[in-house]
Amino acid sequence: MKKLILFLSLLLAVVKSYGHVGSPGVTFEGKAGPYKVIVSINPPDVIPGTANVTVYLEDGVKGVTVFAKPVYWTFGADGTPRADQATAFAGQPGRFDVKIWFMNMGTSSIEIMIDGPLGKGIVLVPVMAVSTAKRAMPVGLGWGLLGMAVFLVLLMVTIISSSMGDSQLNPGEEITKRLRTRRTIGGVSSLVILVLILWGGLSWWNSAAANYNKFLYRPLQATTIVNGQDGTLTLTIDTVQLNMMTQRRRMNITRKMSFLVPDHGKLMHLFLIKAGELDVFAHLHPQRVDSVTFTAKIPNLPAGKYWVYADITRLSGFAETIVDTLTVDENIFHNAGLNIKPTVAADPDDTYYLSNTINSKTATRTGAAICGSPGIETKLNDGSTAVWMQSPGKEIKAGELTNLQFEILDPEGKPAKLEPYMGMMAHAVILKDDGSVYIHLHPAGSYSMASQKALLDRIAFHEPLDKYLPQPKVFVDSIDHFMTRLNAMPEADRSKLLMVNMPDMAPSKNGTMTHQVSFPYTFPQPGKYRIWIQAKRNGVILNSAFDAVVK
Amino acid sequence: MSTITLSQASANDTAGTLKLPFYIYAVVFASFCITVGLIWDISWHTSIGRDGLFSPPHLATYLGAVTSGLFSGYYVLRLTFAGRKEEKQQSINFWKVFHGSLGALFCIWGAFTMITSAPFDDWWHNTFGLDVQILSPPHTVLLLGMITIQFGAMVSVMALQNRESITSTYSKKTLAACFMLSSGFLLVMLFTIASEYLTRHNMHGTLFYEVAGGLFPLFLVAVSRASTSKWGATRMAAVYMVVMALLVWILPLFHAEPKLGPVLNHITHYQSFHFPLLLIFPAIAIDWLNQRLSVKPSIVRAFAIGVAFVLVLLAVQWPFGDFLTTVYARNWLFGTTSWYFGSDPNNEYRYKLYDEATGATLITGLGISVVLALLSTWLGLTWGRWMKSVKR
Repeated sequence: MKKLILFLSLLLAVVKSYGHVGSPGVTFEGKAGPYKVIVSINPPDVIPGTANVTVYLEDGVKGVTVFAKPVYWTFGADGTPRADQATAFAGQPGRFDVKIWFMNMGTSSIEIMIDGPLGKGIVLVPVMAVSTAKRAMPVGLGWGLLGMAVFLVLLMVTIISSSMGDSQLNPGEEITKRLRTRRTIGGVSSLVILVLILWGGLSWWNSAAANYNKFLYRPLQATTIVNGQDGTLTLTIDTVQLNMMTQRRRMNITRKMSFLVPDHGKLMHLFLIKAGELDVFAHLHPQRVDSVTFTAKIPNLPAGKYWVYADITRLSGFAETIVDTLTVDENIFHNAGLNIKPTVAADPDDTYYLSNTINSKTATRTGAAICGSPGIETKLNDGSTAVWMQSPGKEIKAGELTNLQFEILDPEGKPAKLEPYMGMMAHAVILKDDGSVYIHLHPAGSYSMASQKALLDRIAFHEPLDKYLPQPKVFVDSIDHFMTRLNAMPEADRSKLLMVNMPDMAPSKNGTMTHQVSFPYTFPQPGKYRIWIQAKRNGVILNSAFDAVVK
Repeated sequence: MSTITLSQASANDTAGTLKLPFYIYAVVFASFCITVGLIWDISWHTSIGRDGLFSPPHLATYLGAVTSGLFSGYYVLRLTFAGRKEEKQQSINFWKVFHGSLGALFCIWGAFTMITSAPFDDWWHNTFGLDVQILSPPHTVLLLGMITIQFGAMVSVMALQNRESITSTYSKKTLAACFMLSSGFLLVMLFTIASEYLTRHNMHGTLFYEVAGGLFPLFLVAVSRASTSKWGATRMAAVYMVVMALLVWILPLFHAEPKLGPVLNHITHYQSFHFPLLLIFPAIAIDWLNQRLSVKPSIVRAFAIGVAFVLVLLAVQWPFGDFLTTVYARNWLFGTTSWYFGSDPNNEYRYKLYDEATGATLITGLGISVVLALLSTWLGLTWGRWMKSVKR
């Protein structure tokens, strides 16, 4: 009973999420054939469970039907049930809602099919289906069930005692002393048996809960260290935890470290953000040393505690974020040996940015920028400006799809001519001031593009998974080879390669890319957030940051 | 034992035949709904998959729960607050206030338990996932409720049947038919609960005979003993087989398509549940031995029936297991083509036996089955004696 009460008194606890920390929602903005859509998916936090899918048609096309179905990476499209039709949302033309069932853990996706006057359009949005929630029973329900259990036990004791006593009398007969005794014996023994049954049931319940916890998604653990001597950062993934993952074959394949694939041309995107103050931001691309060790050239970071977020994607399309903290001691870079050769070269797409702290509007570090906010622009390092096209009075609400729109103007105040940065028009990182929400997103939404490609490749294969999986060693070699080739390419060629199949990257009619970028995103919870926007102009990476208050 | 004078009404009616209370038909019908609802639900899960609180098979089950709960509840309340004296004299009195029958109380308990399982199951799904397992704590609470309603239906009939020898007021035939049906529906439920170990793939494994030996004699023997018919267990097994077979034949006539991924077996119609076990043969042996050995001590009867049950079941089910793997069983009659939508249709065990016990394994396994059947029979005899004694 004590255990039950304890169990009931536990509050809802949600494990830090996968892919994007604390931000399980997936958004997609782009084309589904001839239709321009925004898709917003709220995946279940318990598998099996249902995802809430909302599709918004942007151009106000009429006479359209929207269908959606789940497609698993493990089984491909051939193992998919017939799609469900989404229902048009009353009072909001162009909005369609549907619930999609996810039965298996691992990389999944939702295929949206739009049928209308312009023909058919299909788009696949990846979703990582994992159980992350640990729920306790609401207190009211707990007491209600306890009350019913007591009532049912008493009633059953009555029934059994009667079954051994007065129910054996012929109509009209009076109960005898012998039957009375038997009735008491029946009542007492049944009470004992029922309590034992309930106790057994409770143990079963506890073991079911323990079993569920065993298959709960656990983020990868890693250790990050900085070597001031050679100016490198090394991230090592905890192999003990990797071994624990192998208990389940499907997830072992899904999360296998040997099956890492590049996303935007990098095997890992690592962000270092100064904990609490958020005034130091670095976006690095560590190289793979072995399947669990990654290393990068590090900028001369100010001393302090940093939050580390490292994004990876695999052949299975399973994208996740490794979270760690890093403490940089005072003067480690200054004390470094005079000219020890660095072991790793800096990645040309690495970048480092200083700004004011989240709680202050003045910069305390030399060269730090002042962050923008709705209505207040921010200056970029090459003299251009970035503007958040959000009216200052307009409230941003948690749980509502928000289009974060920015424009970049050149030093003359004219639309800036942006170049692709790692194959994308812009990258954004959104972080809550306590580090509990982190997301790396793009103008096409928060879905992982590498996951989408992984799923499409798998779907095109049409054979069971065993035939699809490569030898891990061979796969690692081929990816390493590809990375070497990619890094050796001239930048223009690399950008061209990375831009293949990327959404919204086609030059506009006048031959230049648009200077406005927008990121569809649903803030998961209220609070203070910082948004970093990264773009490229004249071969220089432009960083900017904005502060947002979400209600 | 003191006896008080019975009220005029029932004393005068001893010669005639009273109509069976409608309540009895209602609870037998409730038991039927639960049986059909449960098997339909299993078919739903193997063919369509997507669960819902108000899915058609669930509605059939709820109809059973509501029917039994309402009729039994009304029976108790009417008896308590508007019952005639002679009616109260035939009832059991509980909690100082209420009057009812044992069967009605079982049905009420079952209905309340089924209701309790609903919010519990809903919470379970939200916490641990939608329908992760068939046997979860909330599903077990639900099954307990169902089976208690079915048992309550049987007890309701039994009480009148046992009383009947004194007052002779109800039609023997109708009572016997109700008893046969309610006991048969209960047997379907018992089979279903243990069905994981009793499939056609298991028929050459020792676990099959151990589970069957431990489970079925308890109920078949008790019913054989409690029945007014000489062939109580046989009739119970016959109802079980007919219901199971009818569902194998009827359900696949209806359209069904999987609504949950992954779908490995793209089907278009309901996949049926199992073809019934040939329980009628061991049931005949039980009834026959019960008649023959009625004067022998319980232990002798338990031994004879226990051994006979296992041997007869082995004699019919072992070759039948072989037959069910053949192409001759892959038709509407035996329904062995039925296959879960999430399983690979080319699975090598689709038409194979999982294990083939031989030699010492087989002999040891059968030995264990006989011991279990013996114990089960002995309990069944005791329980049957109790069933025979319930009169209210």
